[in-house]
Amino acid sequence: MRRYLLATLCVTALLTVAGCASHQATLYERLGGQSNIDAVVENLLYRIADDDEMVGFFANSNIDLFAESLATQLCDVSDGPCRYEGPPMDRAHQHMGLTDVHFNRLVEYLDAAMQEEGIGLGARNELLGRLAPMYADVMRLQ
Amino acid sequence: MTLFKSVSPHYCASLPGLFVSVASKHLALVAIATLCIATAMPSLAGSRILGTGGVSAIEGAAGGGLSPWAVLSSTASEQEVGVTAAATRAWVNDYRLTVTGASLNIYDRAELSVARQRLDLETLGGELSQDIYGAKLRLFGDVLYHPWGIWSLGVQHKRVDDGTIPTALGANATSGTDAYLSASKLLFSAVAGRNVLLNATLRNTEANQGGLLGFGGDQGSRSWVAEGSVGVFITPQWIVGAEYRQKPDNLSAAQEDDWQSLYSAYFFNKHLSLTGAWLDLGDIAGLPSQQGGYLSLQAAF
Repeated sequence: MRRYLLATLCVTALLTVAGCASHQATLYERLGGQSNIDAVVENLLYRIADDDEMVGFFANSNIDLFAESLATQLCDVSDGPCRYEGPPMDRAHQHMGLTDVHFNRLVEYLDAAMQEEGIGLGARNELLGRLAPMYADVMRLQ
Repeated sequence: MTLFKSVSPHYCASLPGLFVSVASKHLALVAIATLCIATAMPSLAGSRILGTGGVSAIEGAAGGGLSPWAVLSSTASEQEVGVTAAATRAWVNDYRLTVTGASLNIYDRAELSVARQRLDLETLGGELSQDIYGAKLRLFGDVLYHPWGIWSLGVQHKRVDDGTIPTALGANATSGTDAYLSASKLLFSAVAGRNVLLNATLRNTEANQGGLLGFGGDQGSRSWVAEGSVGVFITPQWIVGAEYRQKPDNLSAAQEDDWQSLYSAYFFNKHLSLTGAWLDLGDIAGLPSQQGGYLSLQAAF
């Protein structure tokens, strides 16, 4: 009986230690880390490139720089080991003439890109939820 | 998620003008909607995210089924016009409700709707019917992007066809107008990584059983009632949830209870949704505990 009790205690202790050791995965990890975030950004850019209306907004952009900046931002937003140091969202989008139509379409493209790159629904929803409050900043100076 | 390449904002843009001139004939709007549907390309859809227009509530407005939500119908965004048409049927123990409705979303700012309800009194015999003309104005916000969600103000003017039964039960009037304030908000990744949709509506009404039993009565007339719903998007296309609608109780001859439902709505794409529900409508016109099923099909363009 005592041996049984001891065994139970040991197993419980082990499980507790194991539970503490396996930390909660960050959103960054659930998105597949930097390589998958880069893939999502590339996928997104192809969708934008195929959209005559959307691609117009990037006419004067350095696409490589933009891709890198967006990937860093997604890494930062998802608690990854990056710090986004680009321009704030309101200044980055000022006077572009963006409407809800464009904003919604980008959301759809991003979600589709994440889906195609194998990101699960929970992680997709969480990232979209973290990006959604940026709407106010993006639209402030239109 | 449906992808689409471009949205032509002017499509069906002539609808608002047409609507005003024919608002009194709900069938005309259904016809216009059908015409628009028939002439529109299948690729045409509003830019708002799938599911953000809700489904068609039984009074015609965008909502969950029993109650209007703050979101405006279809997926039309600013600069876009959307149209929906819906057919709904509910079967409870002693009654059968049939609703046909249509709505128009103008720039995601205003929603106009019409609905025709027919309640077959399968046990008592006969039928009750009414027309409902609705308007909803988005005050501010967005169900996805605004921290406070979307807030809308709406009115529903209801006219009963034949006032004989409502009057016999003690109703004061055979037409009336509801006004409501509604708020809706999507919480991202709220339950097991799933998005959760919350809705609350405060309605000022004198309608008995939504208006089918007339307006006002010996026990009261105008009052405030609360309605609400919670839904979980199991997938981006499929939401399940529950809805509650408080009701007045104006007629001593026909006790009235609050309505509640468990619902499941599936969005095949931005153009088609199917809603199924389990209803518990309580006592209706003297017949107790009315429960049953609900099916609603909506087309949106």
